[in-house]
Amino acid sequence: MQTDDLIAQLAGDRRSSSSMLRLLALAIVASLVGSFLVMMLGGWGMRPDLHQAMRTGPFWMKAGYSIAFAVAGVALIERLGRPGGRGRVGWMVLALAVAAIVALAVAELASMPMAGWHADMMGHSSQICALSITLISAPAFAAIVWMLRRMAPTRPHLAGIAAGLLASGLGATVYGLFCQETGAAFTAIWYTSAMLIWPAIGALVGGRLLRW
Amino acid sequence: MSLVATYDPALSPAGAARPVVRRGLRQVSDVELRLKALMLLALDGDAAASNALLTALAPPLRRYFARRLGQDAAEVEDLVQETLIAVHTKRHTYDAHQPLTPWVYAIARYRLADHFRRNRRRGETALEDAGQLIAPGDFDAAEARRDLARLLEALPERQRRLVMDVKVEGRSIEETSARTGLSQSAVKVAVHRAVNALAKRFRDANG
Repeated sequence: MQTDDLIAQLAGDRRSSSSMLRLLALAIVASLVGSFLVMMLGGWGMRPDLHQAMRTGPFWMKAGYSIAFAVAGVALIERLGRPGGRGRVGWMVLALAVAAIVALAVAELASMPMAGWHADMMGHSSQICALSITLISAPAFAAIVWMLRRMAPTRPHLAGIAAGLLASGLGATVYGLFCQETGAAFTAIWYTSAMLIWPAIGALVGGRLLRW
Repeated sequence: MSLVATYDPALSPAGAARPVVRRGLRQVSDVELRLKALMLLALDGDAAASNALLTALAPPLRRYFARRLGQDAAEVEDLVQETLIAVHTKRHTYDAHQPLTPWVYAIARYRLADHFRRNRRRGETALEDAGQLIAPGDFDAAEARRDLARLLEALPERQRRLVMDVKVEGRSIEETSARTGLSQSAVKVAVHRAVNALAKRFRDANG
Protein backbone atom coordinates (compact mmCIF):
# COMPACT_ATOMS: atom_id res chain seq x y z
CA MET A 1 0.00 0.00 0.00
CA GLN A 2 1.17 3.52 -0.67
CA THR A 3 2.06 5.48 2.43
CA ASP A 4 -0.31 8.30 1.49
CA ASP A 5 -3.21 5.84 1.24
CA LEU A 6 -2.25 4.38 4.58
CA ILE A 7 -2.22 7.83 6.16
CA ALA A 8 -5.64 8.65 4.75
CA GLN A 9 -6.94 5.37 6.11
CA LEU A 10 -5.44 5.92 9.55
CA ALA A 11 -6.69 9.51 9.76
CA GLY A 12 -10.15 8.34 8.76
CA ASP A 13 -10.19 5.74 11.52
CA ARG A 14 -12.84 7.17 13.83
CA ARG A 15 -12.49 4.64 16.61
CA SER A 16 -11.41 6.51 19.69
CA SER A 17 -8.34 5.18 21.39
CA SER A 18 -8.48 4.10 25.00
CA SER A 19 -6.77 6.21 27.62
CA MET A 20 -3.90 5.10 29.83
CA LEU A 21 -5.94 5.94 32.89
CA ARG A 22 -8.93 3.88 31.82
CA LEU A 23 -6.72 0.92 30.95
CA LEU A 24 -4.99 1.08 34.32
CA ALA A 25 -8.26 1.38 36.23
CA LEU A 26 -9.79 -1.49 34.30
CA ALA A 27 -6.80 -3.75 34.90
CA ILE A 28 -6.68 -2.92 38.62
CA VAL A 29 -10.38 -3.69 39.09
CA ALA A 30 -10.02 -6.94 37.12
CA SER A 31 -6.94 -7.83 39.19
CA LEU A 32 -8.67 -7.29 42.52
CA VAL A 33 -11.74 -9.25 41.46
CA GLY A 34 -9.61 -12.08 40.05
CA SER A 35 -7.35 -12.30 43.08
CA PHE A 36 -10.29 -12.14 45.47
CA LEU A 37 -12.07 -14.95 43.63
CA VAL A 38 -8.96 -17.13 43.69
CA MET A 39 -8.59 -16.52 47.41
CA MET A 40 -12.26 -17.27 48.20
CA LEU A 41 -12.61 -20.26 45.89
CA GLY A 42 -9.08 -21.60 46.29
CA GLY A 43 -9.41 -22.58 49.96
CA TRP A 44 -7.94 -19.50 51.68
CA GLY A 45 -11.01 -17.43 52.51
CA MET A 46 -11.02 -14.40 54.80
CA ARG A 47 -9.72 -14.48 58.35
CA PRO A 48 -12.63 -14.82 60.78
CA ASP A 49 -11.49 -11.89 62.93
CA LEU A 50 -11.13 -9.48 60.02
CA HIS A 51 -13.28 -6.81 61.66
CA GLN A 52 -11.19 -6.63 64.82
CA ALA A 53 -7.95 -6.98 62.87
CA MET A 54 -8.79 -3.95 60.77
CA ARG A 55 -8.54 -1.85 63.90
CA THR A 56 -4.95 -2.97 64.58
CA GLY A 57 -1.65 -1.62 63.37
CA PRO A 58 -0.13 -4.84 61.95
CA PHE A 59 -3.04 -5.30 59.54
CA TRP A 60 -2.41 -1.87 58.04
CA MET A 61 1.34 -2.28 58.13
CA LYS A 62 1.03 -5.31 55.85
CA ALA A 63 -1.64 -3.65 53.74
CA GLY A 64 0.41 -0.47 53.49
CA TYR A 65 3.46 -2.42 52.42
CA SER A 66 1.69 -4.37 49.68
CA ILE A 67 -0.24 -1.29 48.54
CA ALA A 68 3.11 0.53 48.24
CA PHE A 69 4.23 -2.18 45.80
CA ALA A 70 1.05 -1.64 43.82
CA VAL A 71 1.57 2.13 43.83
CA ALA A 72 5.14 1.66 42.62
CA GLY A 73 3.82 -0.63 39.89
CA VAL A 74 1.22 1.91 38.77
CA ALA A 75 3.78 4.71 38.72
CA LEU A 76 6.18 2.54 36.71
CA ILE A 77 3.55 1.37 34.23
CA GLU A 78 2.30 4.91 33.72
CA ARG A 79 5.82 5.73 32.50
CA LEU A 80 7.14 2.46 31.07
CA GLY A 81 3.89 1.83 29.21
CA ARG A 82 4.73 4.76 26.95
CA PRO A 83 7.38 4.75 24.21
CA GLY A 84 10.66 6.02 25.60
CA GLY A 85 9.30 6.18 29.15
CA ARG A 86 11.48 5.67 32.21
CA GLY A 87 10.18 5.04 35.71
CA ARG A 88 12.19 6.96 38.26
CA VAL A 89 9.39 7.79 40.69
CA GLY A 90 8.13 4.21 40.76
CA TRP A 91 11.56 2.82 41.64
CA MET A 92 11.86 5.40 44.41
CA VAL A 93 8.49 4.42 45.89
CA LEU A 94 9.58 0.78 45.82
CA ALA A 95 12.92 1.54 47.48
CA LEU A 96 11.24 3.63 50.17
CA ALA A 97 8.68 0.90 50.90
CA VAL A 98 11.36 -1.76 51.25
CA ALA A 99 13.52 0.54 53.39
CA ALA A 100 10.54 1.28 55.65
CA ILE A 101 9.63 -2.37 56.23
CA VAL A 102 13.25 -3.30 56.85
CA ALA A 103 13.50 -0.48 59.42
CA LEU A 104 10.32 -1.68 61.14
CA ALA A 105 11.60 -5.26 61.13
CA VAL A 106 14.93 -4.25 62.62
CA ALA A 107 13.19 -2.21 65.31
CA GLU A 108 10.90 -5.12 66.08
CA LEU A 109 13.75 -7.61 66.40
CA ALA A 110 15.82 -5.17 68.46
CA SER A 111 12.99 -4.92 70.97
CA MET A 112 12.94 -8.65 71.75
CA PRO A 113 15.48 -11.18 73.05
CA MET A 114 17.44 -12.96 70.35
CA ALA A 115 15.85 -16.25 71.35
CA GLY A 116 12.52 -15.04 69.98
CA TRP A 117 13.85 -13.96 66.59
CA HIS A 118 13.43 -17.23 64.80
CA ALA A 119 9.79 -17.65 65.85
CA ASP A 120 9.07 -14.01 65.01
CA MET A 121 10.55 -14.25 61.54
CA MET A 122 8.87 -17.56 60.72
CA GLY A 123 5.41 -16.72 62.10
CA HIS A 124 2.82 -19.45 61.60
CA SER A 125 2.46 -19.34 57.83
CA SER A 126 5.93 -18.87 56.38
CA GLN A 127 5.59 -22.16 54.51
CA ILE A 128 2.52 -21.08 52.57
CA CYS A 129 2.97 -17.31 52.40
CA ALA A 130 5.06 -16.88 49.25
CA LEU A 131 3.27 -19.58 47.29
CA SER A 132 -0.16 -18.27 48.34
CA ILE A 133 0.60 -14.69 47.35
CA THR A 134 2.02 -15.84 44.04
CA LEU A 135 -1.03 -17.96 43.21
CA ILE A 136 -3.51 -15.30 44.32
CA SER A 137 -1.63 -12.73 42.22
CA ALA A 138 -1.72 -14.84 39.08
CA PRO A 139 -5.01 -13.45 37.65
CA ALA A 140 -3.76 -9.95 38.45
CA PHE A 141 -0.59 -10.56 36.46
CA ALA A 142 -2.62 -11.78 33.51
CA ALA A 143 -4.92 -8.73 33.61
CA ILE A 144 -1.99 -6.32 33.86
CA VAL A 145 -0.06 -7.93 31.02
CA TRP A 146 -3.23 -7.70 28.94
CA MET A 147 -3.37 -4.00 29.76
CA LEU A 148 0.32 -3.40 29.02
CA ARG A 149 -0.07 -5.00 25.62
CA ARG A 150 -2.52 -2.24 24.84
CA MET A 151 0.10 0.33 25.75
CA ALA A 152 3.44 0.65 24.00
CA PRO A 153 6.33 -0.29 26.28
CA THR A 154 9.71 0.13 24.62
CA ARG A 155 11.56 -1.43 27.58
CA PRO A 156 9.56 -4.63 27.79
CA HIS A 157 11.67 -6.31 30.46
CA LEU A 158 11.33 -3.38 32.83
CA ALA A 159 7.64 -3.12 31.96
CA GLY A 160 7.35 -6.83 32.84
CA ILE A 161 8.90 -6.12 36.24
CA ALA A 162 6.44 -3.26 36.73
CA ALA A 163 3.55 -5.55 35.81
CA GLY A 164 4.80 -8.08 38.37
CA LEU A 165 5.10 -5.42 41.09
CA LEU A 166 1.57 -4.17 40.53
CA ALA A 167 0.16 -7.70 40.30
CA SER A 168 1.82 -8.99 43.45
CA GLY A 169 1.13 -5.74 45.30
CA LEU A 170 -2.58 -6.15 44.59
CA GLY A 171 -2.53 -9.91 45.18
CA ALA A 172 -0.71 -9.54 48.50
CA THR A 173 -3.16 -6.86 49.59
CA VAL A 174 -6.02 -9.28 48.92
CA TYR A 175 -4.09 -12.05 50.69
CA GLY A 176 -3.81 -9.72 53.69
CA LEU A 177 -7.53 -10.34 54.27
CA PHE A 178 -6.64 -13.97 54.98
CA CYS A 179 -3.20 -13.71 56.53
CA GLN A 180 -3.14 -13.41 60.34
CA GLU A 181 0.55 -12.65 60.77
CA THR A 182 1.38 -9.53 62.73
CA GLY A 183 5.16 -9.27 62.62
CA ALA A 184 7.14 -6.64 60.71
CA ALA A 185 10.04 -9.08 60.36
CA PHE A 186 7.70 -11.71 58.94
CA THR A 187 6.33 -9.18 56.47
CA ALA A 188 9.77 -7.95 55.50
CA ILE A 189 11.00 -11.47 54.76
CA TRP A 190 7.99 -13.34 53.40
CA TYR A 191 5.87 -10.65 51.77
CA THR A 192 8.91 -9.15 50.11
CA SER A 193 10.16 -12.42 48.66
CA ALA A 194 6.59 -13.33 47.63
CA MET A 195 6.10 -10.00 45.90
CA LEU A 196 9.33 -10.38 43.94
CA ILE A 197 8.30 -13.61 42.21
CA TRP A 198 5.97 -12.09 39.60
CA PRO A 199 8.38 -9.21 38.92
CA ALA A 200 11.10 -11.82 38.28
CA ILE A 201 8.79 -13.73 35.95
CA GLY A 202 7.81 -10.44 34.32
CA ALA A 203 11.45 -9.60 33.67
CA LEU A 204 11.93 -12.99 32.02
CA VAL A 205 8.82 -13.07 29.86
CA GLY A 206 8.38 -9.32 29.29
CA GLY A 207 10.40 -9.32 26.11
CA ARG A 208 8.15 -11.98 24.65
CA LEU A 209 4.72 -11.07 26.08
CA LEU A 210 4.94 -7.32 25.70
CA ARG A 211 6.18 -7.11 22.13
CA TRP A 212 4.09 -4.96 19.82
CA MET B 1 25.48 14.66 19.04
CA SER B 2 26.70 17.71 20.84
CA LEU B 3 24.34 20.20 22.34
CA VAL B 4 27.02 22.84 22.57
CA ALA B 5 26.17 25.97 20.61
CA THR B 6 28.36 26.19 17.55
CA TYR B 7 29.09 29.06 15.28
CA ASP B 8 27.70 28.63 11.81
CA PRO B 9 28.64 31.55 9.56
CA ALA B 10 26.10 30.52 6.97
CA LEU B 11 23.30 31.28 9.36
CA SER B 12 24.59 34.58 10.67
CA PRO B 13 23.67 37.92 9.21
CA ALA B 14 26.72 39.58 7.65
CA GLY B 15 29.00 41.12 10.22
CA ALA B 16 27.08 39.85 13.20
CA ALA B 17 29.37 37.13 14.46
CA ARG B 18 27.04 35.64 17.05
CA PRO B 19 26.96 31.99 17.98
CA VAL B 20 23.86 30.14 16.86
CA VAL B 21 22.31 27.03 18.18
CA ARG B 22 22.85 24.06 15.89
CA ARG B 23 20.51 24.41 12.98
CA GLY B 24 19.05 20.94 13.45
CA LEU B 25 17.99 21.65 16.98
CA ARG B 26 16.35 24.96 16.17
CA GLN B 27 14.41 23.35 13.35
CA VAL B 28 13.37 20.53 15.60
CA SER B 29 11.95 22.91 18.16
CA ASP B 30 9.85 24.74 15.56
CA VAL B 31 8.71 21.48 14.05
CA GLU B 32 8.05 20.15 17.52
CA LEU B 33 5.59 22.94 18.33
CA ARG B 34 3.70 22.47 15.10
CA LEU B 35 3.58 18.68 15.32
CA LYS B 36 2.54 18.71 18.94
CA ALA B 37 -0.32 21.09 18.15
CA LEU B 38 -1.45 18.70 15.41
CA MET B 39 -1.17 15.74 17.77
CA LEU B 40 -3.33 17.41 20.40
CA LEU B 41 -5.98 18.09 17.78
CA ALA B 42 -5.69 14.54 16.49
CA LEU B 43 -6.18 13.20 20.00
CA ASP B 44 -9.40 15.21 20.11
CA GLY B 45 -10.58 13.29 17.05
CA ASP B 46 -9.66 15.85 14.37
CA ALA B 47 -9.13 13.71 11.26
CA ALA B 48 -7.59 16.53 9.22
CA ALA B 49 -5.02 17.22 11.92
CA SER B 50 -4.29 13.52 12.16
CA ASN B 51 -3.74 13.37 8.43
CA ALA B 52 -1.50 16.45 8.50
CA LEU B 53 0.49 15.02 11.42
CA LEU B 54 1.13 11.65 9.82
CA THR B 55 1.94 13.29 6.49
CA ALA B 56 4.44 15.58 8.19
CA LEU B 57 6.04 12.68 10.09
CA ALA B 58 6.57 10.47 7.04
CA PRO B 59 9.56 12.30 5.44
CA PRO B 60 11.68 12.60 8.60
CA LEU B 61 10.90 8.98 9.45
CA ARG B 62 11.91 7.96 5.93
CA ARG B 63 15.24 9.75 6.42
CA TYR B 64 15.66 8.21 9.86
CA PHE B 65 15.23 4.66 8.58
CA ALA B 66 17.14 5.25 5.34
CA ARG B 67 20.16 6.43 7.32
CA ARG B 68 20.10 3.19 9.32
CA LEU B 69 19.08 0.67 6.71
CA GLY B 70 20.84 1.89 3.63
CA GLN B 71 18.82 2.52 0.55
CA ASP B 72 16.45 -0.42 0.39
CA ALA B 73 13.45 1.79 -0.29
CA ALA B 74 10.86 -0.95 0.14
CA GLU B 75 12.17 -1.93 3.54
CA VAL B 76 12.44 1.69 4.64
CA GLU B 77 8.88 2.32 3.51
CA ASP B 78 7.66 -0.74 5.42
CA LEU B 79 9.16 0.65 8.59
CA VAL B 80 7.79 4.14 7.93
CA GLN B 81 4.34 2.63 7.58
CA GLU B 82 4.70 0.44 10.67
CA THR B 83 5.74 3.50 12.64
CA LEU B 84 2.86 5.62 11.35
CA ILE B 85 0.43 2.86 12.24
CA ALA B 86 1.89 2.72 15.75
CA VAL B 87 1.76 6.52 16.09
CA HIS B 88 -1.93 6.27 15.30
CA THR B 89 -2.96 3.15 17.21
CA LYS B 90 -0.78 3.92 20.25
CA ARG B 91 -1.63 7.62 20.36
CA HIS B 92 -3.17 7.24 23.83
CA THR B 93 0.32 6.50 25.17
CA TYR B 94 1.46 10.01 24.28
CA ASP B 95 1.70 12.20 27.37
CA ALA B 96 0.56 15.70 26.45
CA HIS B 97 2.89 17.18 29.07
CA GLN B 98 5.89 15.88 27.15
CA PRO B 99 7.31 16.90 23.77
CA LEU B 100 6.02 14.85 20.86
CA THR B 101 9.13 14.18 18.78
CA PRO B 102 10.96 12.06 21.38
CA TRP B 103 7.81 9.94 21.66
CA VAL B 104 7.68 9.45 17.89
CA TYR B 105 11.38 8.59 17.72
CA ALA B 106 11.05 6.16 20.60
CA ILE B 107 8.44 4.36 18.49
CA ALA B 108 10.66 4.52 15.41
CA ARG B 109 13.64 3.19 17.37
CA TYR B 110 11.52 0.36 18.75
CA ARG B 111 10.22 -0.55 15.29
CA LEU B 112 13.79 -0.55 13.98
CA ALA B 113 15.02 -2.77 16.82
CA ASP B 114 12.08 -5.08 16.19
CA HIS B 115 12.96 -5.18 12.51
CA PHE B 116 16.55 -6.19 13.26
CA ARG B 117 15.35 -8.79 15.75
CA ARG B 118 12.98 -10.34 13.21
CA ASN B 119 15.69 -10.47 10.57
CA ARG B 120 18.17 -12.04 12.93
CA ARG B 121 15.64 -14.68 13.89
CA ARG B 122 14.88 -15.48 10.27
CA GLY B 123 18.60 -15.55 9.63
CA GLU B 124 19.09 -18.27 12.20
CA THR B 125 17.35 -20.79 9.99
CA ALA B 126 20.25 -21.59 7.72
CA LEU B 127 19.14 -22.84 4.35
CA GLU B 128 21.92 -24.16 2.25
CA ASP B 129 19.57 -25.97 -0.04
CA ALA B 130 17.42 -23.05 -1.11
CA GLY B 131 18.84 -23.51 -4.60
CA GLN B 132 17.24 -26.91 -5.08
CA LEU B 133 13.76 -25.84 -4.27
CA ILE B 134 12.56 -24.98 -7.73
CA ALA B 135 12.44 -28.43 -9.20
CA PRO B 136 12.42 -28.44 -12.98
CA GLY B 137 8.95 -29.46 -14.05
CA ASP B 138 8.10 -31.46 -17.11
CA PHE B 139 6.41 -28.60 -18.88
CA ASP B 140 8.19 -26.65 -21.54
CA ALA B 141 10.26 -23.63 -20.73
CA ALA B 142 8.03 -20.98 -22.29
CA GLU B 143 5.02 -22.17 -20.39
CA ALA B 144 7.12 -22.28 -17.26
CA ARG B 145 8.18 -18.68 -17.71
CA ARG B 146 4.61 -17.57 -18.24
CA ASP B 147 3.40 -19.44 -15.17
CA LEU B 148 6.30 -18.14 -13.15
CA ALA B 149 5.46 -14.55 -14.04
CA ARG B 150 1.87 -15.11 -13.02
CA LEU B 151 2.87 -16.74 -9.76
CA LEU B 152 5.39 -14.05 -8.97
CA GLU B 153 2.68 -11.44 -9.20
CA ALA B 154 1.10 -12.97 -6.14
CA LEU B 155 4.17 -12.30 -4.02
CA PRO B 156 4.70 -9.16 -1.98
CA GLU B 157 6.85 -6.65 -3.80
CA ARG B 158 9.96 -7.21 -1.71
CA GLN B 159 9.90 -10.99 -2.00
CA ARG B 160 9.21 -10.77 -5.71
CA ARG B 161 12.25 -8.61 -6.23
CA LEU B 162 14.44 -10.98 -4.26
CA VAL B 163 13.19 -13.98 -6.19
CA MET B 164 13.70 -12.15 -9.46
CA ASP B 165 17.24 -11.22 -8.48
CA VAL B 166 18.34 -14.58 -7.16
CA LYS B 167 16.30 -17.15 -9.01
CA VAL B 168 15.42 -15.53 -12.33
CA GLU B 169 18.32 -13.23 -13.01
CA GLY B 170 20.75 -15.52 -11.26
CA ARG B 171 22.49 -13.00 -9.04
CA SER B 172 24.47 -14.40 -6.15
CA ILE B 173 23.24 -14.17 -2.58
CA GLU B 174 26.22 -11.96 -1.76
CA GLU B 175 25.44 -9.59 -4.58
CA THR B 176 21.76 -9.37 -3.68
CA SER B 177 22.62 -8.87 -0.06
CA ALA B 178 24.88 -5.97 -0.96
CA ARG B 179 22.27 -4.47 -3.30
CA THR B 180 19.41 -4.62 -0.81
CA GLY B 181 21.26 -4.07 2.43
CA LEU B 182 19.72 -7.25 3.84
CA SER B 183 21.98 -9.77 5.49
CA GLN B 184 22.90 -12.78 3.36
CA SER B 185 20.91 -15.14 5.51
CA ALA B 186 17.92 -12.81 5.41
CA VAL B 187 18.09 -12.89 1.60
CA LYS B 188 18.37 -16.67 1.58
CA VAL B 189 15.47 -17.12 3.93
CA ALA B 190 13.25 -14.59 2.22
CA VAL B 191 13.89 -16.29 -1.12
CA HIS B 192 13.30 -19.67 0.41
CA ARG B 193 10.00 -18.55 1.86
CA ALA B 194 8.93 -16.98 -1.38
CA VAL B 195 9.80 -20.13 -3.29
CA ASN B 196 7.90 -22.25 -0.80
CA ALA B 197 4.90 -19.98 -1.13
CA LEU B 198 5.16 -20.22 -4.90
CA ALA B 199 5.46 -23.99 -4.80
CA LYS B 200 2.36 -24.22 -2.63
CA ARG B 201 0.44 -21.89 -4.91
CA PHE B 202 1.56 -23.88 -7.91
CA ARG B 203 0.47 -27.16 -6.32
CA ASP B 204 -2.89 -25.66 -5.34
CA ALA B 205 -3.42 -24.23 -8.79
CA ASN B 206 -2.66 -27.59 -10.40
CA GLY B 207 -4.87 -29.57 -8.11
